[in-house]
Amino acid sequence: MIRYWPALLSVLLSLSAIAGYYVFLRVPAVRNHPALYLVAFAIAAVIAGAATWHAARWPNFVALGLSAVLLILGGYFNFVLARVPATPTVLRVGEPAPGFTLPDAAGAPVSLASFRERVPVVLVFYRGYW
Amino acid sequence: MTELGDEGVQILAISPDPNERSQELAQKLRAPYRFLTDGDLAVTRRYGLLHAHGGHKGQDVARPTTVVIDRRGIVRWLQLADSIQIRPDPTDVARAVRQLGS
Repeated sequence: MIRYWPALLSVLLSLSAIAGYYVFLRVPAVRNHPALYLVAFAIAAVIAGAATWHAARWPNFVALGLSAVLLILGGYFNFVLARVPATPTVLRVGEPAPGFTLPDAAGAPVSLASFRERVPVVLVFYRGYW
Repeated sequence: MTELGDEGVQILAISPDPNERSQELAQKLRAPYRFLTDGDLAVTRRYGLLHAHGGHKGQDVARPTTVVIDRRGIVRWLQLADSIQIRPDPTDVARAVRQLGS
């Protein structure tokens, strides 16, 4: 088993990158650099690839296969699925925010103008469908 | 974004969802959120933040965006997402709010 420590290291690195992504989801400094998990998968693939080159045994192939699949899926998610296209926003720093009135959770109408001269407002547009 | 709780600021969270459950959660967390429902995404569209077919079932959704508006109704800070994985750091938003002064 000791001969397969690079394969084991590769698998552990891949798994800890996945675990770390969820553990640190609430830490902005980590969450906002999602490419970190791709770097971990890539390092895991290089380690497993070197181990396979050195000794073509099944544990090395498993580690190589796992890290390669994670690298491809992770890359597809990060660079394709998670992308948000640019939108022609009308918002400009230094210009007024367009007014609106929308119902709150209780159905009561809330207008942006009602906060004027009272408190600053932070608008958070989110995707919903939780 | 509970860092903003003491800043004297109103957070309005806007999505197409009916938001009863979100509002209950915010009350439990004592976060100063009010959840507004933009059911037909009319305001999202007017703001130019529509991500057409961006939902996980192909629905239209909003491009995740955070906007700080001062007491005069002027946009003072803005972050638009390029990836659904990225959200503003609450400390950055809190700093933008504090810089408005009172």
